[in-house]
Amino acid sequence: SFTMTDKQNIQKSVKIAAGAVVCVESEIRGDVTIGPRTVVHPKARIIAEAGPIVIGEGNLIEEQALIINSYPENITPDSEGVEPKTMTIGINNVFEVGCVSQALKIGDNNVIESKADVGRNVILTSGCIIGAFCQVNTCEVIPDNTVLYGSGCLRRVQTERPQPQTLQLDFLMKILPNYHHLKKTVKASQNPS
Amino acid sequence: METLCPCWVGEHPAEPKVDSHYCPSCLENMPSAEAKLKKNRCANCFDCPCCMHTLSTRATNIPAPMPDDPTKTTMKKAYYLACGFCRWTSRDVGMADKSVASGGWQEPENPHTQRINKLIEYYQQLAQRERQERDRKKMARRRQCMPMAFSEKYGLGTRLQRQRAGAPLSSLAGLTLKEGEDQKEIIIEPAQALDEVEPLPEDCYTRPINLPEVTTLRQRLLQPDFQPSGASQLHPKHKHLLMKRSLRCRKCEHNLSKPEFNPTSIKFKIQLVAVSYIPEVRIMSIPNLRYMKESQVLLTLTNPVENLTHVTLVACEEGDPEDVNSTAKVMVPTKELVLAGKDAAADYDELAEPQDFQDDPDVVAFRKSNKIGFFIKVVPQKEGDTDVLVSFKIRHDFRNLAAPIRPNEEAGDATTEAIWLTHHVELSLGPLAP
Repeated sequence: SFTMTDKQNIQKSVKIAAGAVVCVESEIRGDVTIGPRTVVHPKARIIAEAGPIVIGEGNLIEEQALIINSYPENITPDSEGVEPKTMTIGINNVFEVGCVSQALKIGDNNVIESKADVGRNVILTSGCIIGAFCQVNTCEVIPDNTVLYGSGCLRRVQTERPQPQTLQLDFLMKILPNYHHLKKTVKASQNPS
Repeated sequence: METLCPCWVGEHPAEPKVDSHYCPSCLENMPSAEAKLKKNRCANCFDCPCCMHTLSTRATNIPAPMPDDPTKTTMKKAYYLACGFCRWTSRDVGMADKSVASGGWQEPENPHTQRINKLIEYYQQLAQRERQERDRKKMARRRQCMPMAFSEKYGLGTRLQRQRAGAPLSSLAGLTLKEGEDQKEIIIEPAQALDEVEPLPEDCYTRPINLPEVTTLRQRLLQPDFQPSGASQLHPKHKHLLMKRSLRCRKCEHNLSKPEFNPTSIKFKIQLVAVSYIPEVRIMSIPNLRYMKESQVLLTLTNPVENLTHVTLVACEEGDPEDVNSTAKVMVPTKELVLAGKDAAADYDELAEPQDFQDDPDVVAFRKSNKIGFFIKVVPQKEGDTDVLVSFKIRHDFRNLAAPIRPNEEAGDATTEAIWLTHHVELSLGPLAP
């Protein structure tokens, strides 16, 4: 069995893979799975309210980013017949500082820039870049390699997908453990560190 | 920027003039002649054709065959342009990466440049000729000795005089070609109208539009040479230069505002702004304003100059053309208000004796170095949601400290003459109390 301390705030369904770097100051609630080589900065929040969240590998989730699988507005948590939907996030995505992502399905190599707001009904495929402060709350699939930018959320298509942030990830995986305690996944036989 | 000229006796809008050109991103200065040659564009910086932000140069390492040994490869740096905002890169339009960080990028050549240049030359020559004819007619009306005197006195500075040097009496000679005119006659052919035009492609109406490929009007019109309809033909353009301008009074040609030449400096060499000479009226506190009820509003008057200033407030008269917006009646203090000069050391000088001004406590609420607070009475005349607006005239004495003191005045009478200026002041006091 495990002990729950106030500081650590880990619930039993958080599964953090072996190579992931998840800072203790981040808030992870609900049924969340985090893949290897993913970095979660302090003050990031991953909240699985209305269903589980599965995060792939190589993702970068920066400070004050909010990834939330929440109930749609017209449904209360107690109503019946609501099936929990899983939010899947692919590999090599970047969630920059202060962004909010509620999209249920995010592919690979996407970048959600600072303070962007992605709604629940948006599906990001691959290589999409949601520009800073862009609010996308349409109900659509954003095609590959699309860039949304500007105050009017103008769009254009890129010819090449954004590069995976391997250098940054390697750097962070080396440096962050020097300054922060890390969350490890809680198993029945293991003490939380 | 409201400027104040020492000759100011009325409204004279200042005349702006171009002072210097500079690039907003690399802050490179350029004299006007060079800017004109480069068509007011910076040589080093580019604008993104997609979102019009500044492009930055990025480098990648690409393997390239070594010059000595074609089989081995070494990492060489290749540079490309990229926009940080919309993620456009120069590779999107097919521009190859360059091996030099700057100076390698060329704008595409306009296929019509030659024709346009020829047309411009022809019309310039035509305009010049017309100008000469006009001047010749003007000169012919004057006495004949005058042109000679002029050209000798003022030298061969103007083009007119340059070409007149050999033939002073050619004004009567008629339409002959002057000597020294080295331009040969430029002949242009008129544009040819074509009978046959390329037909539209067959699938013009049926082909589905590839929306990301279509350029917006703004993107298209920023490149007037090509006006591409496809995004894959949008090439970056050099960045437009910005200008610093200087202001000059139309009446007395006095320089009012002259910025520094250095683009990184925002200071001014000469800055005669009205704010530093005219006393400033500010609203300090507003009570609840009620329709048709008199209330007292506390205003402050600050003296920006270093000498004593006398201020009189006058309510606007009926039918005043400047008094358009006021929605309330205002009663201003009738007495003259005296403002102490601005003393920069006043904060630090504790031993300074406060000057005794004998203020009427009904009018002047407080006095603090160069600032006084005074009351005005306001009676709102309009009901509803509009803001209460009052207006009045402020009359103060303006001493032109920049003018030289006449040397034959005695030392005791060293103050310059005061000019009384009147300004219209409008204050918006916010909505009526609910």
